[in-house]
Amino acid sequence: MADNSTPRIIGFLCKWCSYAGADLAGVSRLKMPASMIPIRFMCSSRVDPLFVLKVFLGGADGVLIAGCHPGDCHYQTGNYYTRRRFALTQKIFEELGLETNRIRLSWISASEGQRFVNVITEFTENLKKIGTNPVKEEIFL
Amino acid sequence: MKGHIITSTEGLNKAVKRILMSFIEQGVFDAILVPTRAPSGESFVYLLIKDKKFIESCSPLPPIMPIQGARALKDLTRLGKTDLRVLCVMRACEIRASIELSKLKQINLENISFISIDCPGAFVTRDYINNSAELDKSYGEILNVWKADNLRPSCNTCVSFSCKDLPIDLHIGKIGMKENEIIVVPLSKKGEEFLSSIQIECAQDISEWQTAIEDMQQRKTENRNKAFLELKNKVTGIDNLNNFFSNCINCHNCMRVCPICYCRQCFFESTDQVRLEAENYIIRAENKGGIRFPTEMILFHLGRMSHMALSCVGCGACEDACPMDIPVAQVFKFMANELQQMFDYVPGEKIDEPIPILTYKEDELREYEDAQGSK
Amino acid sequence: MKSFKILKAPDEALKEILLSLFELNKIKGVFALSRINSDNYGYALITDKTLIRDIAPTIPLMPANAAKSISRLTMVESLKSPIAVVLRPCELRALFELVKLEQARLDNMIFISFTCGGVFPTRIMKDGLHDKLEKYWENIKTGENLEDLRESCRICEHFVPDNADIILNLVGENNISHETTVLLKSEKGEKLLTDKINKFVEIDLESEKLRSCINKRTEVKSKIYGAFETEKFGVDGLTRFFGRCINCHACSKACPVCYCKLCFFESAENEYNPSTLETMLNNRGALRLPVDTIFYHLGRLIHVGITCVGCGMCSDACPTDIPVSRIFSKAGERVQQLFEYVPGRNIDEKIPIATFQDTELTEVEH
Repeated sequence: MADNSTPRIIGFLCKWCSYAGADLAGVSRLKMPASMIPIRFMCSSRVDPLFVLKVFLGGADGVLIAGCHPGDCHYQTGNYYTRRRFALTQKIFEELGLETNRIRLSWISASEGQRFVNVITEFTENLKKIGTNPVKEEIFL
Repeated sequence: MKGHIITSTEGLNKAVKRILMSFIEQGVFDAILVPTRAPSGESFVYLLIKDKKFIESCSPLPPIMPIQGARALKDLTRLGKTDLRVLCVMRACEIRASIELSKLKQINLENISFISIDCPGAFVTRDYINNSAELDKSYGEILNVWKADNLRPSCNTCVSFSCKDLPIDLHIGKIGMKENEIIVVPLSKKGEEFLSSIQIECAQDISEWQTAIEDMQQRKTENRNKAFLELKNKVTGIDNLNNFFSNCINCHNCMRVCPICYCRQCFFESTDQVRLEAENYIIRAENKGGIRFPTEMILFHLGRMSHMALSCVGCGACEDACPMDIPVAQVFKFMANELQQMFDYVPGEKIDEPIPILTYKEDELREYEDAQGSK
Repeated sequence: MKSFKILKAPDEALKEILLSLFELNKIKGVFALSRINSDNYGYALITDKTLIRDIAPTIPLMPANAAKSISRLTMVESLKSPIAVVLRPCELRALFELVKLEQARLDNMIFISFTCGGVFPTRIMKDGLHDKLEKYWENIKTGENLEDLRESCRICEHFVPDNADIILNLVGENNISHETTVLLKSEKGEKLLTDKINKFVEIDLESEKLRSCINKRTEVKSKIYGAFETEKFGVDGLTRFFGRCINCHACSKACPVCYCKLCFFESAENEYNPSTLETMLNNRGALRLPVDTIFYHLGRLIHVGITCVGCGMCSDACPTDIPVSRIFSKAGERVQQLFEYVPGRNIDEKIPIATFQDTELTEVEH
C-alpha cells in the first residue's frame, strides 16, 4: 500500500462469513486490488456506527461492512440490526452532505470468495473515480 | 534578567507570530500550540501547528478565552509525554492551570515549553460572538491603555496576569511599553538559549516593564479586595447562598469547562448520586413539603469547591460558560483565596510544590482540632 | 373526549385540579414547574399541598427537560404512591422514549399536560421574562409563535400531548386569560375527576383551529429548514457550523434522551496516546485541540437522532450559542422518517434500531 493512488478501504468483516470469504479468495489465489485493510469482528452487528465514522474522519477513502446474508447470521439476528444501523448511518451522511458512496454494506458468505473479490474491485474502482477523501487534510476536526 | 525590545507597527499579535515562525523555521520547536480563529469566524480554538503555513493565520492573544488552554494541552499529554518539542502560547492563568494539572498527573510537562503574554483580560465570550468586529478593534486599543470596563468580571480582579514569576521559559511583555513596542523576556536559561537560536540576544533593561506590572498588580489587588468584601455579604449563610445560586439550572457547564475539574465521570454525575430509589426523593420531599429538581444543586457547587478550590487559578472559564450568567468564578475565587492562604499556597507557581491536601506536616492546624472546645 | 371548563387562567385551573386530587386522596404529590422566588422557576416534587400555590407549569420556560428528572426519580424503582406529573408534550414524549430505554418507570404516575405554545430560551429567566408574558399569552390565542421563542418550539408540530391522561387546551383558545378547557384523554384521567365534576361536554381536540395552528408551525419549519441546506455541508460545512464548539458536552448532558452516565466520548476508550496525535499532526500539518469535535457531534447524532424529540435543550445549553437543535432535529427527523417512526408517540412501539424485519431496506445492501 505504498502506492499513493490506491484508495484505502477499511473492511469490517464478520468472522463467520465475510472474513472467511476473504480468506477463501486469498487461498484460491484470486487477484484483487490491495486496497482493503480487514478488521475482524465476531458479527457484523458489533460494528458501532461510531467505528465507521471514526475511520471516515480519520481519512479512509472507503468503509466496507460485510456480514452474513440475512437469515444466515451465525447469531441468528445480528445482521438484521446491522442493516438498520447502516441505513441510519447512511441517511445521516446523506442529510449532512457527506459522501454516501464511501460507505458500503455487503453480504458475503464464507463460500463466496469470488464475490468478495468482485465487491472489493468494484468499490476500489468507484473510489478511484471519486478521488481521495478530502477529510485527510482537515485540521479542525 | 534582561529583555529584548521589538518594535513593530503591525501590532502585538503579528510581532509574536514572527517569533513563532522563526522558532519553527529554525527547528527550535517541532510544534506550536496556539489559538487560531475558528472556521466559523467569531471564536477561537487551539491549534497544534507543525506546518509553518498555519502560523500566518494564528492569534497568539485572542480577545476571548472560550477554551481554557490547559484543557487543550491535557488532550495531548494525558496518557504520557509527547516526543515533540512543543511551545505553548498561553495566558498566565492557562499556564498555571497546566502546572496544577501536571501535579494531578493529567499533563506531562516533559518537552513542553510555555511562552506567555501580558494579559489585559478577555471579553465575555457571548458578547464577542455577537459583536466580533467591534470588539476586535477595541481589544487592540485595550492592549495599549490597559483599561476597559467591558471585560469579564474575573479579569477585573485578576492579579496574576503576567508570568514574570512563573517557572516557564519565555514571556512577552506589553504593559508599560510604548504603543509599537513589545519586550521579549527569557525567564530561564533554556529561554535564553531558545532566543539565541533565533538570533535574539537579550541585553535591555526591563525595569520599566517590571514597574508597570507592579503598579497594575497593586490596582488589581485593590479591585479584588473590594470585590471580595462586597461578595462576602452576598454568600454568607445558607439563605444567601441559595439566593446567589437561585438561577442555577444544574447544567454542570461550570464543571465541564473548568481546567482543574478533570474527572472523567464527576462524582455528582456518578452512580452514587444518580441511582437513588424513588422513596429517597419522596421522603426528602415529605420532610420539607417539597424538593427542587434536579436535586443537590448547592451540594454540587460546595462539593466541587471543596474538591478543586485549592487549585483554582481564577481563570473565570466557569463564569463564561454559565448559561444563566451566575458569577460562579467570583465565589470560587473568593473561597479559593481563603483556602490557599490557609496553606500559604499559590496554585501553579512552583512545579514541585505539592497541592496542600496531597501532603501534610505532622504538627500543624491544631486550631482545627476540637475547635468547639470538647475534651 | 370528555371535557369541562374551569373559570380560571390555566395555572390557577391546574392548582384547583391538583388541590382537589390531593383532597380526594387520589395523589400523594405533584411534580411540576414551580416558582422558586420572584424571578426563578424550577421543577419541584411537592408533597405538601399548601405549596401547590407556588406551581407555574405553563410559564414559558424549560430550565431542564423534566423527562430527565423523572428518569432520575424512577430509575431504580417505581413510585409507590400516585404522583401527578405536569409536563410539556415534548418532555412527555422524551419520557416515553426513556422508558423504552429502561431509564424510567411510569407506574403510579398521572400525566397532566397541555397544548404547548412554546418556551423562551432559559437565559430570559434572569431578566426580561415578565415583560414578555403578556405578548406571549396574546399570541397563544391565535397560535402565532413569537420570534424570540426557542427555535425548536417555533417549528414544533407535535405540541399536542396525545399520551397525557389530562390535557389542558391552550393553543388557539380565545378565552384562556380567564377560562381553561380541561380534557380527559384516558380512562385513568376520566376516573380521577368524575368524582369532582359531574357535567361533561364531549369535544374533539382535533379541531380546525388546532389544525391551522399546526400549519403555522409547519410553515415556519419549512422556511427555516429550507434555508438550512445541510445536504450541502460536507465536512467543511460541519467544521464551520460547529466552529465555535468548546467541547464542553453541555448539549449531551442537557439532552433528555442522551442517557449514558459515562458517555463514550468521555470514556477511556476514546482517549488518545500522544503518539496517535503526533501521527495525525504529521499527516495534516496542524491539529485542533481538544480533538474530536465533529466526531463527537456526528457520533451523538447517530446514537440519539432516532429518538430526538426536538425539545431544543441542546441549543439552550450551548455556551457559544450554536444552534445544535436545528441540525439534530432536521437530521433526526430524516432518520425517523426512514423508519416511519415518531419518538414518544406510542409506548409499545420499539425504537427502530432495537428491532428489525426479515426483509427490508434492500436498497442499502450492495
